[in-house]
Amino acid sequence: MTTEAARAWRPPPRIASAGVRRAAWVIAAAYALFAAWTIDVDGARIAEGAARAADFFGGWLRPDFVTRWTDIRAGLVESIAMTLVATAAGFVLSVPFGLGAARNLAPAPIYAGCRGALAVFRAFHEVLVAILFVAMFGFGGFAGVMTLVVATVGFLGKLLAEAVEEIDPAPLEALTAAGATWASRITFGVLPQVMPRILGLTLYRLDINFRESAIIGLVGAGGIGATLITAFARYEFESVSAILILIISMLFVAELLSSRLRRRLL
Amino acid sequence: MTSPDVVLDIDGLVVRYADGPEVLQGISFTLGPQEIVGLIGASGAGKSTVLRAVQRLVEPTAGSVRLGGTELTTLGPVELRDARRRMGMIFQEHALVDRLTVMENVLCGALGRTGFWHALRRRFDPADVAHAFQLLDRMGLSGFENRRCDELSGGQRQRVGIARALIQNPELLLVDEPTASLDPAASVRIMTLISEVCSESGLAAVINLHDVPLARRFCPRILALHEGRIVFDGPPSELTDAVLTEIYGEEAVEPHVAVGAPAEDRRDD
Ligand SMILES: Nc1ncnc2c1ncn2[C@@H]1O[C@H](COP(=O)(O)OP(=O)(O)OP(=O)(O)O)[C@@H](O)[C@H]1O
Ligand SMILES: [Mg+2]
Repeated sequence: MTTEAARAWRPPPRIASAGVRRAAWVIAAAYALFAAWTIDVDGARIAEGAARAADFFGGWLRPDFVTRWTDIRAGLVESIAMTLVATAAGFVLSVPFGLGAARNLAPAPIYAGCRGALAVFRAFHEVLVAILFVAMFGFGGFAGVMTLVVATVGFLGKLLAEAVEEIDPAPLEALTAAGATWASRITFGVLPQVMPRILGLTLYRLDINFRESAIIGLVGAGGIGATLITAFARYEFESVSAILILIISMLFVAELLSSRLRRRLL
Repeated sequence: MTSPDVVLDIDGLVVRYADGPEVLQGISFTLGPQEIVGLIGASGAGKSTVLRAVQRLVEPTAGSVRLGGTELTTLGPVELRDARRRMGMIFQEHALVDRLTVMENVLCGALGRTGFWHALRRRFDPADVAHAFQLLDRMGLSGFENRRCDELSGGQRQRVGIARALIQNPELLLVDEPTASLDPAASVRIMTLISEVCSESGLAAVINLHDVPLARRFCPRILALHEGRIVFDGPPSELTDAVLTEIYGEEAVEPHVAVGAPAEDRRDD
């Protein structure tokens, strides 16, 4: 045996050609420069805004829960209701879509239909959907709930479909071999494998929905966001600060509860 | 019922996956009541495919499969479901639902005759539940009914899988490499258990095994599969080195393989 030099090893590069690799870096850098160039920065407006920001941060330090308390409470209660209703309804509706959009369960036409529907549900940002629903159903919480339901079905349906596509097929096959019906195969072979993950994601979506309910309120879909935009419009930064503090505390509480629940479920 | 002394009658079974080659090129054999055959063959020979084709988990390309006189290859979906209930299947990797309890997994074998809403609420027929308890006792798993299956050892899981197959009250067991993930001693215990329950319940069985000494020891009749055909059908005593060389190649034939040494009956494999 001849002695051999220690053999070096490096992971193979993602882009095989060194030339292409270098060109990609150059193009990326050039684009970043160009993009920075096109953002025009207006000194005067920044100065003007700075004054208002100072006002705003001043207000932050003096949160006022009292003056607008009835409005704030009504907004919070509506947001919580919107969040809970939309998450629950969205969860229930996402199950058929999610099963239908799983390639390993659904026949081709159903698969295509459900995948398409889920893509449409996720195509537009919540704010756009909210604007549409506000136009259709008028101002208020109903438009908000509808918006959140659509977003929740799009989100959970897609993730459920992906979870179902990754299940261990062996137990499902065992159920087929035992002569179980389609419905029983789903409830015993599929759901136990995906439910912990889906319930975890639903709790996460509850968080998102609460946050979204504050955003879509800005375009008239009810909830705490509506109260927030009103306070902004009146330059009542003390109330704005109070509302933001409440939103953050709500999210903290939700986080605590959901992490606790999740530990129970897994 | 054509003939009462044939449990399974396979004739000219051909299976081809998608547009690939024929994995099974015309397999024929019959199985009498209480007959236990060991199906051996190299990895990829098509052993699992035979069992999957009998259950129609893969559709046979040609040929006929009869279960106690019922032609399986032409059944519609509902009759097929009924026919599948008559065959208990035991899988190589257990194929249990990990997150369900032992009892739920065993009762999965009874789902074929349980209505959906009852199954959803876990309201099983009390007779099935009693039967399940009895089987768990028989498998040495008393007291395990509420344990989650992912807490069990490989041997324990395999015994849950056996109970799940038996609760179907099958006429035939289809067993796919039941010992593939077990150590030699646990393998012997599982094979002993399978052959005991077969004789207790008067079941016929096809058992896929890659372990030839184990097949010799537990199966009175051996079928060897090579390149999609049956190249040997007879008692273990006639399974010569020449035959083994044909199916496994030169290296595989070792006369002194020490598998199948009886071990003391530990419960916790
Ligand atoms: N779903 C499938 N699609 C395509 N080809 C398959 C499929 N399942 C099995 N095959 C092929 O069929 C052949 C036989 O496979 P099979 O699983 O029946 O062999 P086996 O004898 O059980 O092997 P092992 O001892 O490894 O379990 C193999 O060549 C395999 O690649
Ligand atoms: Mg196999």
